This record gives sequence, structure tokens and C-alpha cells, in this order.
Amino acid sequence: MKKQFQTKKIAIAVALSLGASFVSAQPSPIKIGVVTPLSGTYTPIGEQVKMGLDLAAKEINAAGGIGGRKIDLIYEDEEANPAVATQKAEKLFQVEKVDFLTGTVNSGSTLAVGQLAERNNKLIATTVSFADSITADKCSPNVFRVNARAGMQSAALAAWVDKEIPKANIFFIGPDYEMGRSTVSAFKKASTEKGAKDVGEVFAPLDNKDYSPYFGQVRAAKPNVIYTSVAGNDTVRLFSQMDEYGVNKGVTIVGASGTVTSQNMGAIGKSANGFVTGVGYSPKLDNPANKKFVADFQKAYSKLPDLYGADSYGLLYFYKAAVEKAKSTETDKVRAAMNDLSWQTPQGMKKMRAGDHQAMQDMFAVRVENGEFNIVGKVPSDLAIGPDTCTRF
Amino acid sequence: MLESLQYIYAPQIINGLSIGVAVILMALGLTIIFGLLDVINMSHGEFYAAGAFFSVTLVAMGVSFWVCLLLVPLLLVPIGFAMERLLIQKVFHYKDRHILTLLLTFGIAMVLEDSYKIIWGANPIKPSAPISGASEILGVMFPNYRLFLMGFGALLILSVWVLIYKTQLGAIVRAAAYDKDMSSSLGIPVMRVYALTFAFGVALAGLAGVLLAPIYSVFPTMGRDFILMAFSVVIVGGLGSIKGAVIAGILLTQLQSISSLYISPVWSDPLVFAVMVLVLMFKPTGLYGSMKNA
Repeated sequence: MKKQFQTKKIAIAVALSLGASFVSAQPSPIKIGVVTPLSGTYTPIGEQVKMGLDLAAKEINAAGGIGGRKIDLIYEDEEANPAVATQKAEKLFQVEKVDFLTGTVNSGSTLAVGQLAERNNKLIATTVSFADSITADKCSPNVFRVNARAGMQSAALAAWVDKEIPKANIFFIGPDYEMGRSTVSAFKKASTEKGAKDVGEVFAPLDNKDYSPYFGQVRAAKPNVIYTSVAGNDTVRLFSQMDEYGVNKGVTIVGASGTVTSQNMGAIGKSANGFVTGVGYSPKLDNPANKKFVADFQKAYSKLPDLYGADSYGLLYFYKAAVEKAKSTETDKVRAAMNDLSWQTPQGMKKMRAGDHQAMQDMFAVRVENGEFNIVGKVPSDLAIGPDTCTRF
Repeated sequence: MLESLQYIYAPQIINGLSIGVAVILMALGLTIIFGLLDVINMSHGEFYAAGAFFSVTLVAMGVSFWVCLLLVPLLLVPIGFAMERLLIQKVFHYKDRHILTLLLTFGIAMVLEDSYKIIWGANPIKPSAPISGASEILGVMFPNYRLFLMGFGALLILSVWVLIYKTQLGAIVRAAAYDKDMSSSLGIPVMRVYALTFAFGVALAGLAGVLLAPIYSVFPTMGRDFILMAFSVVIVGGLGSIKGAVIAGILLTQLQSISSLYISPVWSDPLVFAVMVLVLMFKPTGLYGSMKNA
């Protein structure tokens, strides 16, 4: 009886040690935390982030992982709320001990989680946030951005306008709040530097009913380009009323990337035709990497990737390239490897600028034609990026 | 100078007029319900939205826009009638009925708004205008549909005025509003008159929805667009006064239109409310008294 018990114990011990050696033979996975909105207004963006990351992780793991280690993505819902984002990120850093973190959408969340990353001595990257400040006056040595920032979108659009309509007379129509005023002033600066003339501006209240009272001013200013950064239903009204009054006749309408979206395009209808904006990605980009990405994405999710899906997909390849170059996942070594790193994405080659941690990439001008965005111009990355204004590192 | 008159002031005034007609159409139903029934209908904007949603749905089903102009208000009459009978009558006879009806109709507005979101979705719908093209007036292009809107609106306002002041039906309604007990002792079915008057106001809001949908597009929260402006018009014009609503409607929208040339458009709304506050301070009954005393 006793002997039997002894043998059993030995058997268990052997089994345990075998198990342990089996586990240690397989290198531990690299944990990447993803704090992204999976509920609330920004859910559609969070979904694209998740789809892009999942697809890239699947591909990388199938090809042997990063230096033999698999990628393990751990998701947390940030509800597009900076306070929730920091809580969830803290949990991922402290409890899950993630090696790297991404996913934040709201620029406020990215800034807040960036500070947290500094305290935990970890690196994060955003694939969505647009606010220029993240890689300018509020830059952080622990924060990287792989997507194009707002300034690059206006630079791309200004370059397109300058090429197609040199010395344009531009009238600006914006919604009267922070985002509206900052987008108008950014584009005004970018376009007037290239020789365009500012012939007038009007800031209408958010949710404005009728834009016709401003059309007199627009006509009197005799513009040949109208720039607008209204969004949502305001775009529906502005565009259809401009059509109604013929204000857009002989005028090129350009605007912010959020002005015409798949949500309001149907309601705007024909009035949206001819609208041009600057973007960092389009599923229509004609290069082998993007064609393969779009085909795989559609196969996996039966929908088209957007800007957020593409940039999130590209991020894991950025991290992979950095870790392989550093031969480590240690923060200082990976950071050094990320600086000036070039890597392949669906948009072509991107390069991480060491001075402010902003990725440099080619930008595109797209025009709405019958419910689709067609690429009408390309601005090389060095013309779109703008000066490095980060002074912290 | 002449150029600025032609390119800036003239279109500004005409645009202001077309917005004025829209606001008056909204204020008309409101001032009737407010002036005759003494009910502050906070859900008026949602009935305007109901009219717009009904019309885009009917048009999508193949019904012509011109038929909708008649059909949609008729569809709203039983809804308004039932709402007055089943809900408003329940709280109408309490002492603090102003607060109670205000809260009740505010609640109804929220329920309706969310119902539209569930039924029609949150994204805007833009019906195309039944009259396209533009005409030149004083050297300025002006959309034909807006010209039609101004003409039709003027006609509509005139017919409502005739109905209330020049017909026996109108006299009955005014009598019921002026003295409920005396009217019912004379054999007027006061309760039914109240419900029908409410339904009439609701139908007018729905008609405004049909008319304005092609200009302002259709979406669940559209009811909030005109409601503050319409309330200001009713208060400045005088509760229950149709003449007051027309004059105040034109005055306030012109003020908004012209002032937006000189000050940031964001400030043209507060300007209108400032006028309302001044009227409340110095002439609380509004520019033109009330229908009851007519």
C-alpha cells in the first residue's frame, strides 16, 4: 500500500518535470496589450483596429512568430474614455506584464496612456489618433505613431490643390468649435504657404440648419476652391444647399478627411461628387502589399479594411522588425531599434522619424465619384511630414 | 455699393424670408396649441420630424410628394387626437398644468426621438426636392423649391388665419378656449374641440416636416432644430396670435440673417433670445395679445 503510494508520487513528479521541461522548450509568447474602444461611439474604429491586429498576428504566428516567439494579443475595452483607458492600461502593464501596448483611438487616451507608459518604462504606439500634439509639443520618448497625423492630411491636400489649381482663391467654411477652427487654420497655413489666397471664412454653429445665409459672402468672395471641415449631418446640409443654390458651380470643394464618410455619403448623394480630401490610406492603393492585404482582410472579415485597419495591421510588422533588430523586447533596446526604422506596410514603405516618433509615409488625395473614393494624387512622405517640433528627446 | 446690395443684402434678405417661412410654419401649430389650449407642447418638434419621416417613407413606397402634402397631415390627425385624449387630458385639469403638460410632452418627445432612431436609424436621409432648378431674382440665383415654399407657406398661413378668425368652426374653437363652461352649456362638445385643435396643431407640424425635409434632410433629432426658434417667435409675437407669429417670425429670422453678416453666426441665436428676453421684460404678452381676446 505504502509502496504503491510512493510510486504514484514519483510518477507525478516525473510527469510534472516533463511538463515543465515541455513548457520551457517552447519560448514564452510576446504579450501585446490592446486598449481600444470595443463599445460606444467609436466601436466601428475599435473593430477595425482589432481586425487589423488579429490578421497581422495570425500571419506572423503562422510564419514562426517574432524570433520564434508567438504574439499574444490581450484586449481591453477603453470605451474611448481616457480615464478608463489609463485604468485598463495600468492593469495590462502591472498584472498581465505586457511587453508593448497599442489600440488607443481618442487622442486624449493616447496622451494619458503615454504618460502611464513612461512611468512603467514601457513603449506604446497609436495607430489611429490624429492630434498633431502627440508627436509635437506633447511628444514622449515612450510613444510612437504609425498613422498619419492631422497636419499631414492638410499638407497632402494643400499640395494637391497647389498642383491642380495653382494660386487658388480659397474660401473656408468650418464648424465653430475647437476641431473646426484648428482644421481650418491648419489648412489655411498649409495652402497659403504654397501661394493660395485666403478670400474669406465663415464659422457656422455646430448642427447648423441652413447655410444659405452665408452664400452671399461666399459668392462675393469669388473663390475657385472652398475648403470645409464640417462633419456628419452638417455636411449633408452644406453640400445639398450649395448644390441647390449653385454655389459649387465652377468651384472645387475640398475638405477634412472626416467631412464625407461612408455614414453620410448616401444622404449627400450626387452633391458629394468631386469632393477631394487628403488621407493616409485607401483600399484602392495599387501595390502588391496592399492588394494582398485587402484580399486577406476581405477573406477573413468579408468587409473592406479602412485607414485604421491598415495602420493597425502595419503596426505589428513595425514591432516585429524592431524586436528582431534589437534581438530583445527590452524597452531601451526596442526604442533604439525603432528610431529611423523602415518597414513594409499596405501603404508602401514607412519610416519612423527618430526626432518625434512620427511615421513618415506617402499621402494621397482622394476624390468622391459616385459613392467611391478614387485616388487622384500622391504626395511623397518628405513633403507631407512637416517639421519636427518635438523638443523633449 | 450696388454690388454689395445685389450680392450680399438682397440674397440675405430673401434667404432670411425662406427660413422665416419655415419657422412660421413651425410656430403656427405651436401658437394654436399654446394660445387656445394653454398647453406648452415640447414634443412639437418631434411631430415635425414625424411628418418628415412619414413623407420619406411614403415617397420611397412610390407615393408622390404632392400626395404626401395632404396624406401626412391626415395621418397625424388621429395620432394627435389620441395623444390629447389619452395623455394630455389626464394632467390638463390639475392646478399646475403648465409644468405637468410641459414635462409630459417633453417625455413624449424623448420617446418619439428614440423610436425614430430605432425605426429609421441614426444616419441622415436626404429626399430630393420635388421642384429642381433655380431662378434668377434681382441677379441672384434662387432655388425654385424655396420660391414654391414661400408661396405655399404664405397661402397656408393665410388659410389657417381665415379658418380661425373668419369661419364658424374657428369661432367655436375660440369660444371653447375663451370660456369652457359657457361654451359647453351652449352645446359645444368642448372636449372633442380641444382634442381636434391639438390634432390640428400636430398636423401643421407634420406638414412643415414634409415641406422642409428636402431642404434640411431627415434624421431622428431634427425636431430640436426649429423648436427654440419657434418658441421664441410665439413668445415675441404673443401667445396664440397668428399675426404675431408671422410678424415675429419674419422679424427674428431677418435679424438673424442680417446680423450674421457682421457678427459670428454663432452669436445670431443668442441675439434672437435676447430679443425674446427684452419682450418678456417690457411686454410679457408679446407684440400682439392673444387669440382668445380677439
